[in-house]
Parts: sequence; C-alpha cells; structure tokens
Amino acid sequence: MVSISQVGAAWRRAGSTLAERLFLDRQAEFWLGEFDPVLSLGEVRARVVEVIEETRDTKTFVLRANGAWRGHRAGQYTLVEVEVDGVRARRCYSISSAPEEPHVSITVKRVPGGRVSTWLHDKVRAGHMLRLGPASGDFVLPARNPDKLLLLSGGSGITPVMSILRDLAARESIHDVVFVHHARSRADVIFGEELSDLAARHAGLRLVLCTDDDASGPHGFDEASFATLVSDFAERSTFLCGPKPLMDRAERLWESVGASDSLELERFTQALRPLPTVGTADGVQVRLGRSGRNVAAKGQGSLLEQLERAGERPAHGCRIGICHACRCRKQSGTVQNLVTGEVSSEPDEEIQLCISTPRTDLLLDL
Amino acid sequence: MNTQSKALTRDEADEFGRELDALRQEVIASLGERDVAHIRRVIGTANRSEAAGRLLLHFGVGPLSFVVGTSALALSKILENMEIGHNVMHGQYDWTRDPALDSRRYEWDIVCTGDDWRHSHNYEHHTFTNIMGKDRDIGYAFLRVAPEQEWKPMHLSQPVVAALLALFFQWGVGGHDLRFDELFAGKQTPAELGARARPFLAKAAWQLFKDYAFFPALAVGNAPRVFLGNLLANGTRNLWAFAVIFCGHFPEGVRLYDQAETENESRGQWYVRQLNGSANIEGGRWLHVLTGHLSHQIEHHMFPDIPAARYPEMAPRVREICRRYEQSYNAGSFARQLSSVIGRIARLSLPGTNRPDEATPAVPKEAATANPALTYLAATR
Repeated sequence: MVSISQVGAAWRRAGSTLAERLFLDRQAEFWLGEFDPVLSLGEVRARVVEVIEETRDTKTFVLRANGAWRGHRAGQYTLVEVEVDGVRARRCYSISSAPEEPHVSITVKRVPGGRVSTWLHDKVRAGHMLRLGPASGDFVLPARNPDKLLLLSGGSGITPVMSILRDLAARESIHDVVFVHHARSRADVIFGEELSDLAARHAGLRLVLCTDDDASGPHGFDEASFATLVSDFAERSTFLCGPKPLMDRAERLWESVGASDSLELERFTQALRPLPTVGTADGVQVRLGRSGRNVAAKGQGSLLEQLERAGERPAHGCRIGICHACRCRKQSGTVQNLVTGEVSSEPDEEIQLCISTPRTDLLLDL
Repeated sequence: MNTQSKALTRDEADEFGRELDALRQEVIASLGERDVAHIRRVIGTANRSEAAGRLLLHFGVGPLSFVVGTSALALSKILENMEIGHNVMHGQYDWTRDPALDSRRYEWDIVCTGDDWRHSHNYEHHTFTNIMGKDRDIGYAFLRVAPEQEWKPMHLSQPVVAALLALFFQWGVGGHDLRFDELFAGKQTPAELGARARPFLAKAAWQLFKDYAFFPALAVGNAPRVFLGNLLANGTRNLWAFAVIFCGHFPEGVRLYDQAETENESRGQWYVRQLNGSANIEGGRWLHVLTGHLSHQIEHHMFPDIPAARYPEMAPRVREICRRYEQSYNAGSFARQLSSVIGRIARLSLPGTNRPDEATPAVPKEAATANPALTYLAATR
C-alpha cells in the first residue's frame, strides 16, 4: 500500500522539480527575501533580536530563527554564516541557550584576527540577519539524566556546558551537578551572574570558579588541586569543553584513573595527527572531474590546502573537520583521514577536503 | 583602428603579460562588497522586470501593455543570460562563496545547458580563442567569418543562414556543444550524439514548456497573448545576443591564428592572442550592462573570471599597456562594429580572400590557446 506520506513526498518532489526547471524557485526566493530577509524556502536564517555584552571580549547573539530551524539539543553547535566584505564565511558556534527557551543564542568570543568573530562583534546588530546550519553534534546528555554530573569548562568553552546547565535548570533536574569553570579573571567569567543565581537557587548545584586573579581560590587547572576539589570526579558523567591545554590535561587525568568512558569532550580545535613520514603527497595527481582540471599535490597537509596551493578555490568552512562545508565526493583513489588516521579506498565516498590527505591519485567530483 | 599589432617577441609578450597579470592581481585584491552588491542589483532588476513583464502580459489589455510587457520580459532575459548567467558561470563570483552565484551550480534561462556551456565556452572557446581547428566558435563551424577560412559552396547561403541564426540564436548556442558537424565528418556516431544530446533535449523541452505551455496556460483567456509575448521576448534576446557576440570576435581587424603558431605559447602570448582576437563596443554604462560587459570583449578574454562590471575601469589601463607595446586595441561604436560584421559575412560568402584591408595574413576572429601551463594565478583572497 502506498501511504499518504509517500504520496505527499512524491508531490513535493514533483513540485520542487517543476519549480526548479521553470526557475520559479529562484523567483520565489527573491521575492520572499524582498519581503523579509529572514524568509527562505529552505535556508535556516535568523534575525538577531538582541546583542548582549557578556564580558569585555564576548557577546551573546539572541536569534529568532525562521521555520526551517528544527531546534537543538543542549550542547550542540550550529554553523553560522556571515558575509564579510562580499565573501561568505562560516564558523561553528556552540548554542548557549537551552532548547526550552523561545530564542536560540550563540555566545561568541572575539578572536584576535578572526574574520567571523570580529565581524559578528563589530558589525552585527539587533535586526540583522544571519544564516545558520542545522544544529549538530554529539556533546549532549544521554536520554536518561546521569545521577552525578560534572560540567568542566574553560574560557569560551563554557557555551555548550551552559546550554546543558540551563536545560537542566529549565527541567528542574539539577540534582547533583558540579560546575567547574576556568577563566583569566572574575570579569572574564561568561554568564558569571547567572551562574551565581543558579547556584543560589539550586541546592544540587555546586559552582567552582577558578580564576587567576582570585587570591584564595584555585588557579587554572592542575591535576592535584582538581582532584581535591572534586574528589569523586571519576564517578561523575563529565562534559568538558575548553582550551586545548585544559582538554589535554583533563583527558590524561581521566585516562590515568581509568575513567575515560565517563568523559565527553567538545573540541573546536581538532588535533590533527602528524602524517606518517612516508606520506607526503608529492607526485600524487588529483583530477577534478567536473572542471576537468588536474592538480599535482605537493608536500604535506590536507587536500584542501593542496588544492588551494594549486590555485583552486573549493568551498570550505571550518577547516578542522566539523562543518562539512568542504564535503565532496571522492570517485576513486585512497585518502587518509588526518583526524582518525583511517585510510580509505572506498569508491564514491563523501570526504571532507580539510581533514583528508591524498595517498594515491584521486578523482574528485569538483 | 585596423592597424595591425606589432609582432612581439616571446620576451616582449611575456613582459606584456606580466603587466596584465599585475593589473589582474590588483583588481582581484580589491574585490568585495561592491561587486556583490552590483550583481545582486542586476539580479533584482531582472527579477522585477520579469515579474512586471509577465503580469502585464497575463493581465493587461490592449497593445500598449503587450509591448511594455514583452519588452520587460525581453529585458529580464537579456540581463539574466548576459550579465548574470554568462558571468556567474565564468566563476566571476565564485570567490563570494554564495551558492546562488556558484559557477558550478548556476543554470540559466536559455535552452543551452549550463554544463554544455561551461565546456564549449568557458573551456574551449576561452582557452583556444581564435585558433582555427580548435575554437569551434569561429563562425560556429558553418559560417565563414574570416578570409583565412577555406571557402565552400555552402558559404554562398551564409547571409540567409546568419540571419536565421540571429533569430534562433539560443538554439545555435544550445546545439553548439553537440557537434553535429562531427557526425557528418564521421568523428561521432549517432549513438554518441544521442547520448550527448539528452541533457540538451531535456532542458529544451522544459524551456519550451515554460514559455509556450505553462505560462500561457496560467493566463487562460490571455494564452495567445502570453504565447506571443514570450516568443517575441525570446526572439529579442536572440537578436541582441547574436549582435553582441558577433561584434566581439568577427569585425574587421580581429585576427585568427593557426595551430602551429600557438604551439608552446606562453602566458604572455596567450594574452596577446586574446587581445588580437577580440573587439570592443564603445558605449555607456547601460550598453555595457545589457551586453553583460561583452562590449568589453578584450578585457573579458584577458580576465574571464574577474567580475565583468570591473572591465570598464580596467579598460583604460589595458589600453595604455597595449599602446606601449604597439598592440592595436579594436574598439568602435555598436553601429560600426555591427556593420563591419554584416559586411564581412556578406563578402566572405563569395570565394576569395584578399580584400585590400584584409591584406594582413591570417587574421581570424577568435583565437585562444589551450596551453595547460596557462593556469590562472591563484585568486585566493
């Protein structure tokens, strides 16, 4: 039996084919945008409803997304696209708001020299439009809330764990949560006031702030003082996000007590494994099937870098394997994943240019 | 104007090319918001013009709304094909990373498929510009547009054939990459042609359906009026595109190359060939936009992936460089270039080559080289 939903889907497919072939989709998108820039047939777009100064270098952008937004789970990130002097640029930002809130918030630290964060800080005001990707990421609470939770963060890494804490607060589910956050100074603690409020209102929340300007309290992250502060850390389900040195040390600490399984990490600076020494790409030919061009790969680095060195301009986003904007179909050949070290010769496989390196001649659908 | 360019040594040509490369890099470094704003403004004008044209044709009464509606629709088709489609598909806006301006994805409102165009035009014509036997845009393989081309009896009919091509130009463009001539020459089997033709036939069917069934049907009682309006708008676009494109490569003073002289051509020599194989049309801003800036055919052939709206500001610099290297820069009014092309097509329908002003040897229209060493410099910003 053909179900109603199948018929519906077939109709929608036929409708979108017709619209595309008759160029009606382009017209519709144009007139929707003329009416309201946030409207779109398929793109997730959002209007900035408020910009909040959190600290001297961090702002929260409160967004009202259009109907294409499918919601998020606490801890997930979204791909934010802005147009900087005519050029689209995309970065992943963790969502700091809880799913229960009416609006979606991203909290952005200004990165010196960072194109997108600088643009967001300097140019984006209430009323402006941003393009978003769907929420994604596995840095989320399991279906059943853990009994004992540790949220561990440093600097702007607080954003996804704050979303988790806000989510728990909204669901009245803060039973036994320890929140340890590291920052340079008191004034640099993002969401500092709200954290204090939550700690005051929820007996089950223990808040530990480690700031370098605090004469009495702990400074930074070190294994010994951390183990004293949170003696039962190994028994807690832990969500960790912060600068790479913090993440590395914490990861080793959990490993040393055999508790790696209880540790969830959110990395935004993916640690690339060094290439095997035999593995420079010299002499490898990369054929771009669609444009008909051949590119000689040279030296080390990702396919994306190799292609850019050869003058190609493939679409890309984060450059660290997160956003999938550089995803492309590899029709043949062998690549190695720089993150996982995995070698793959699968034909017709989707790869990410920014974290793949060629190991043999390749044919790419570019 | 038709003074011959000085023959440059390879070193001179390379020096000439380096100056043009420097200009190219300078403009690429300055690309930004204003270029995106320009193309979006043109897209907006085309969309508004199409909507206005269709509304007037569908709901208007009387001849005035018919004429205005048809003109508005023709204007939108001209802008979409020439300033938007042609230029976007050249990759002029790929640096913006806007999917709506992505050369690989763009499909234009004409029977020629984007993929065929990207092959026959962006690759073949722009690489092998004006090289006889390699650039299939020289007279589209059936017109004799330069005396270097061998005369055949079929050329006797070319004034009529050219007029028909002008009227049905989009079909000429659409069928160009199917290479019918190779079927007759035995270089292509009917099966190969059939496979090659499938995307074109599909696109053509959708185009015919859109303009001659779908929109007329929407207009119900006004169907004949909408049908005729669409036909005239398509025809107007055809005539305009034909005129602009023929003025770009076929007026007097444009030269052809033979394959031997372009072997091992350097990047500088490629620039020289682009210059000598192209001709500009002089005019105001609106003329340039309506031609998709193909009125700056010389700059377009030198810098095919730089946003075309930049050509007018580059042209004086290009001209100055050409003057110093004693290269002729073929530019003239629309009337002059078009009458030159028409006269040439008529004259060359008869045998014989050595007209007085055509005395310079081998001056074909459209020559580009296919030297793999000619990869453009990385335009990463």
